[in-house]
Amino acid sequence: MDAITVTNVAKSYGTVRAVESLDLTIPVGQSLALLGPNGAGKSTTVSMLLGLARPDAGAIEVFGDAPSTAVARGRVGAMLQDGALVEGLTVKEVVGFVRGLYPEPLPLDEILATADLTDLAKRRADKLSGGQRQRVRFALAIAGAPKLLVLDEPTAAMDVESRRTFWASMRAYAAGGRTILFATHYLEEADENADRIVVMASGRIVADGSAAEIKSRAGSRTVRFTLGDQSAAGLDRLTGVTGVEIRGTTAILTSTDADATTAGLYQSGLTVQNLEVRGADLEEAFLDLTTDRG
Amino acid sequence: MLTYTRLEIVRLFRDRRFTFFTLAVPVGFYLLWASVFKGDGPEPKSGLPLATYLMVSMASFGAIGASLSATGQRFAAERASGWLRQLQTTPLRPWAVVAGRTVASMFLALPAILLVSLIAFAAEGVRVNALHWALMVLLMWVASLPFAALGILIGSLVGPEAAQPVTLGCYFALSILGGLWIPVSKLPSTLRSIAGWTPSNRFGNLGWTLVSGHAPSVTTALVLVAWTVGLAALAVPAYGRTLRAR
Repeated sequence: MDAITVTNVAKSYGTVRAVESLDLTIPVGQSLALLGPNGAGKSTTVSMLLGLARPDAGAIEVFGDAPSTAVARGRVGAMLQDGALVEGLTVKEVVGFVRGLYPEPLPLDEILATADLTDLAKRRADKLSGGQRQRVRFALAIAGAPKLLVLDEPTAAMDVESRRTFWASMRAYAAGGRTILFATHYLEEADENADRIVVMASGRIVADGSAAEIKSRAGSRTVRFTLGDQSAAGLDRLTGVTGVEIRGTTAILTSTDADATTAGLYQSGLTVQNLEVRGADLEEAFLDLTTDRG
Repeated sequence: MLTYTRLEIVRLFRDRRFTFFTLAVPVGFYLLWASVFKGDGPEPKSGLPLATYLMVSMASFGAIGASLSATGQRFAAERASGWLRQLQTTPLRPWAVVAGRTVASMFLALPAILLVSLIAFAAEGVRVNALHWALMVLLMWVASLPFAALGILIGSLVGPEAAQPVTLGCYFALSILGGLWIPVSKLPSTLRSIAGWTPSNRFGNLGWTLVSGHAPSVTTALVLVAWTVGLAALAVPAYGRTLRAR
């Protein structure tokens, strides 16, 4: 069974087309990252999946129901970008309240432990630091033991350490066979925490696959070495090279065939030191995919 | 919905300064008016002693204030902060949010009515038939519904900065038009003709007639029910619409 099916969905706000002809099927148990720059349509997609926005055209089903029905049945938990906390309540009270809205919630202690909030349980939720508040919001999202967890840029306000613990908590929750969808523009987060990455740009899906597939689809690798004071002339004529960049004493070649480029490099007569061949990181892959739309 | 109502009641009463002012204002005004008009004869229309008449006026004024301030600006602020949107990703449905908030605000209206009565009894020596008084408290409590619905409507339509002045404007307009500050008979004739159609005037009327031991008129009940239904019918979709707007 599929957790989410999106069929030919479109959504505009006034004259702005936020999402166009979107098709997406997410099987139960998958962790999917929705990756894209600001304005790509990620938040609109998330809003529609949660029943907070209605598509202008097309259909969305969440566990076979309309999104709002799935939400009403307690199958969905969400962490929204602007989901602030209510004033005047302790962490334990807010989490306990949201937990009580769901038919089969997690035990309160387990929620607090998973979100690393046990020590903060008696503190006022509106008086916590940014990172701590995000943990409370994560606790609210998982409180009802939802089968689908939707997170819209969950780590936006977090420092590096909070991010690490956050993703560890998220993976622990996902391990129970739950379906996760998170929107992010942090590329390494998508790489490290998702089984599948869907890249969005200008309201459309421009790539869909595993992190490795996304990278290979973008295709290129980089070959870098210390050029020193040797001439860079001729590097652009080596087999496979599509770009040459000189940064200080280092030459960085972008290549569609790293093996041929390296072989050619050694035959060129140059003294090659500190040679390094790398797959383009996801960031580069992502830029390729989102800027090359013609 | 009940869990949400309980949560909101806890939040209302935990905000001590807010609760204090909401309850202190009608009591303060009661003591002020009662001393200003001390020695005047009974209110002509209802025949009630003035201190008793004013007790009902200020209990109405306090209950309306409590209902509006527990909803209006607070609701607008929670809408702007995203908390209400977050709530809408849980099984709690929009109608339950509106209903829960309305009922919670009634729990602030009740002490406003009780406190003014208590002060009237203790400080001004107001004595009323206990059954009549109990009926007044109970029915006025229920009849504070339209004002809570109005507060939610304001909170759904207006941003958090504008919500406070708009709420206060409605509060004063309702109080004056309803004859809670100045008897309706002293109002200019145009306002006087409107007064009978306002929920605040009918709200006060309900109290005045009950305290004098009479049954409220059918018109009073109908006007109050009509305002409740009308405002609730506007508030629920207005709230639902704000959630969908990005």
